[in-house]
Amino acid sequence: MLAGNSSSAPRYAVPGLALACAFTCAATGSAWAGDGVAIDAAKALVCAADGPQAIDGARLLIEDGRIKAIGPAAEVAVPEGFEHIDLGPQWIMPGMIDLHSHISGAFDINDTVFQVNPGLRVSATLRPDMRAMQVALASGVTTVLYIPGSGSNVGGAGVLHHTSPGNYEEIIVRDPGSLKVAQGDNPARWGYGMGRLMMNYHIRFTMRQGKAYAERWTAYESGESDEPQRKLNLDIFRPLLAGETQISTHTQYYQVILASLRLLRAETGFDMYIDHGSFDSWKLGGVAKDLGVAAILGPREVMFPRPPRFDTDGRAEGSAWGFQQMGVELIGFNTDAPVVPQHELSVQAAMGVRYGLDDAQMASVRGLTIVPAMVAGIDDRLGSLEVGKQADVLVVTGHPADPRTSVERVYVRGEVVYDTEQEPRRW
Amino acid sequence: MVVAALCLSLALAVQDAPSAAPQSRPTAIVVDKLLTADADNHVYSPGMIVLEDGKIAYVGAPKELEDDALVVRMEGWAVPGFVDLHTHIHSGGFGDVNDMVHSVNPELRAGSALRPGNRLIQLAVAGGVTTLFGIPGSGTNISGFGVLYKAKPLDGYAASVVADPGGMKVAQDSNPQGRAGNFAFGNNRASMGWQIEKICDRALGATREGRLDPALQSLQRVMSGELPVIIHTAGSEGVINTARMWKTKYDTRCMISHGSFDGWKAAPAIAALGVPVNHGPRTMDFYSSRNGRINGSAAEFVAAGVLTFSLNTDSSVMPQEEFFLQASMSARLGADPYQMLRALTIHPAQTFGIDDRVGSLEVGKDADVVVFSGDPIDPRSRVLRVWVDGNVQYEFERGRQRF
Repeated sequence: MLAGNSSSAPRYAVPGLALACAFTCAATGSAWAGDGVAIDAAKALVCAADGPQAIDGARLLIEDGRIKAIGPAAEVAVPEGFEHIDLGPQWIMPGMIDLHSHISGAFDINDTVFQVNPGLRVSATLRPDMRAMQVALASGVTTVLYIPGSGSNVGGAGVLHHTSPGNYEEIIVRDPGSLKVAQGDNPARWGYGMGRLMMNYHIRFTMRQGKAYAERWTAYESGESDEPQRKLNLDIFRPLLAGETQISTHTQYYQVILASLRLLRAETGFDMYIDHGSFDSWKLGGVAKDLGVAAILGPREVMFPRPPRFDTDGRAEGSAWGFQQMGVELIGFNTDAPVVPQHELSVQAAMGVRYGLDDAQMASVRGLTIVPAMVAGIDDRLGSLEVGKQADVLVVTGHPADPRTSVERVYVRGEVVYDTEQEPRRW
Repeated sequence: MVVAALCLSLALAVQDAPSAAPQSRPTAIVVDKLLTADADNHVYSPGMIVLEDGKIAYVGAPKELEDDALVVRMEGWAVPGFVDLHTHIHSGGFGDVNDMVHSVNPELRAGSALRPGNRLIQLAVAGGVTTLFGIPGSGTNISGFGVLYKAKPLDGYAASVVADPGGMKVAQDSNPQGRAGNFAFGNNRASMGWQIEKICDRALGATREGRLDPALQSLQRVMSGELPVIIHTAGSEGVINTARMWKTKYDTRCMISHGSFDGWKAAPAIAALGVPVNHGPRTMDFYSSRNGRINGSAAEFVAAGVLTFSLNTDSSVMPQEEFFLQASMSARLGADPYQMLRALTIHPAQTFGIDDRVGSLEVGKDADVVVFSGDPIDPRSRVLRVWVDGNVQYEFERGRQRF
C-alpha cells in the first residue's frame, strides 16, 4: 500500500486536514485527499463514447478522486495548490477493464452439483490480496469482472471489482457484476450424455422462470399484486429485469451463438453480451447487432483453419475483424484469466488488429476501456478520461496495443496504486 | 469427375497464387526502412535490396539501376525471412510426427511427412517465416531426424527442401517420460538418459569399427559433428543435464530447445559452455516465482551471456504465423527488441550453421525478404509481401488474404 507515501506527499498543504481526509476517505473507499494533481502528458487517449479519442500535449486535473478537467495543456490552467506532474513523452489513458476473469479468488468458482445455479455468488470467494491481481494491476487492468467458471449452464453471479489494494468494500464496483451463463462445450461435461439440446432447454426454462419471478416483484412494487414468495435462487433476475446488471455469456460457434441470442436476449429482453465469441461466431454479427448485443472477444480471437470441424478455405479469421465486418460497433477484449494471463489483455487487442480489425478509430484501445465499461453499464464512472468520471488513469510509455509498451504508474480513484519508481516491476 | 476436381484445384491454385515464375530480371525493392540483421546491425532508411537469380545482389541506400531492373517501391520495413528451428507443421497438422513404438528412433525421418503447400505452411509464409526445421515430436527420447525446408507453397518438394536429414531431434524432459516405447511404464529421467547414451555409444562404436548399421547412419553423422541436434529440454536441472551430455561428453553441435520454466537459471553455465539456446514457446517464467513477479526468461538468457539466442514457436503449439509475437512478448518482458529480431533471423541461422545462406540481408545470401507495413515485432504491422529464393511466395494485396 502507498498510504504512507500519500500522507508524506507535498500536495497535502495542511497535515491535520490530510489526516482527517485519510480517515474519511478510507471509510468511503477513496483514499484520495487533499488538493488535486495536474498531469501533463505527451498524449491522452480519452476514449470517450463519442468525440475526439486523443489529445496531444494534454493536461488532466484530478480532484477528490475524480477527473476535474482534461484538454490541451494550453487550455487547462493548473489551479493553485495542485501538484503539477510533467510526464514528458509518456501517455495517459483510462484504466483497462477485463470482463472475463477468474483469478480473484482461490479457484472454488465451479460449483457443479446442479446444472443451473442462478443463486450462487462468486463474491463469497474473492480475495483482494491475490498475487495475480497485483500483476494485473501492474499491467494496467484496473477493473475486472470476476465470474464463475463454465462447468454448469448457469454458474451464478459475478462481481465487478478493482484490482487495486484494499478490502472488499474498498475495491467493489458492483455486485452482481453479471449473471454467468455458459453454452457450448464446457458445460456439456456436466453429466453423461448431456448435449446442446438439453442444455438449451434448461437455460430456457431458467430464464422463463426467473423472468416471471422478477415480473411478480415488479407488479408487487407497483401495487398491482400481493407480495410474492421470496426465492433466493431467482433473486438475480430482479436486477436483470431492471437493466441493472447483464448476462455475460460463455458462447462460441455459429449455432451456439444463435441459441444464446435467442434464449438470453430475443426471448427475454435481458441485457446480455457475448463473452468469448470465438471460432466462426462472427458470422452471426449481423443478428447480434440487430439485437443490440455486444461482443467481448477472447481468449482465442482467431479461427485457425482446422477442417473438417470448420468449413474453411485455409484462411485464419480474426473474430474482432469478423464482428466489425458484420457491423457490430461494441467490440471489446477479454483474457478469461488465467487462460490468457491478465497482464496480456492489451495484447489481445493487438492481435485483434493483426487479424484485421480496422484500428483507424482506435477500436483497439476502446475495446480495452470504454467499450467494456458501456457493455457492463459502468460507463457513467469508468472507461474514459472525461470530466466527472473516476480517476482510474494509466501512465504508459506508448500505444497500449504495442506489447513493448510498459505501464509506469497506475491511479485508481485518483490514488497512486502502482508506481515503477516506488517498487520493482512486477513483470 | 477426377479431371473436374483436378481442374478446380488448379483454378483455385492459380487464383490464390501471386507469381511462381522465376525472376528473369533483377528485382529492386525500395522500402522506408531496411533492417539487415548483419554483424553490425546495419539499418538503411530508406533502403534498397536487389534480388537476382534467387540471391541478394545489393543491400544499401537506394541507387541508380540498370534499365532492366524491376523496381518495387513499398511503404514499409524490409527484414530477413524468419528462421524457426522448432516446428511441427510440415505434415499440415499434428499427424505423422510421433512414432512411439520404440523409445529411441534414430532411423526415422520427418522428411517423408512433408507436404510443401499445406495450409499451415501457407500461413507461415504469410507471417514472414521462410525457413523451417520440421521435426518429430517429443513423444520419445530420440524421435528421429527433421527436414530443413523453405516455406514455398507455390513450389514443390524438391524446391522446398534445403537438407534432409537436416538434424536430429532429442527429447529429454517431461513429454517422453513414462509415455512412449518399450520402456513406457516407469520411465523417468535416469532411465531416459541411460537409453540415449547407450545408443550414442553404439553409434560411436559403429564409426570406430567401420561397421555398417542402417539404423545408426544418421546418428553417426550427429556424433561426428556433421549434423546438428536439437534437444527438447526444460527446467534448470534438465537444461544443465542436457548440456553436460551433448556438449561436455559427446561434443556435438547441440542446441537447447525450449529451456522453459526456470531453465534460465542454468543460463550462466550454458553460456560458459557455448551452447546455443532456442527458446520458446513459453518465454516467461511464473513457475519459479516466489513473489508473484513474472520473469522474462528470454531477457534472462541474453543477460547471462548466451550469445546465439534464438526463439521458436514449437508450432502448432504457438501458431506458426505468430513467430514474431515471441519476440514482441520477450521484449515486453524486458529483452531488447533488436536483439529479439536477431533471435528470429540471424541467430537461428548461426545456431544451425546455415548463416551462409539465410538469416540476414547480405550480398550473396538467399533472396528471402519480408516487407512489413511497419515495425516487424509490433502485432499491428502486416506482412505485405514475402520473397523466398527471389520469388514472391505471398502478397497481401493479391488474392485473398491469408489472415
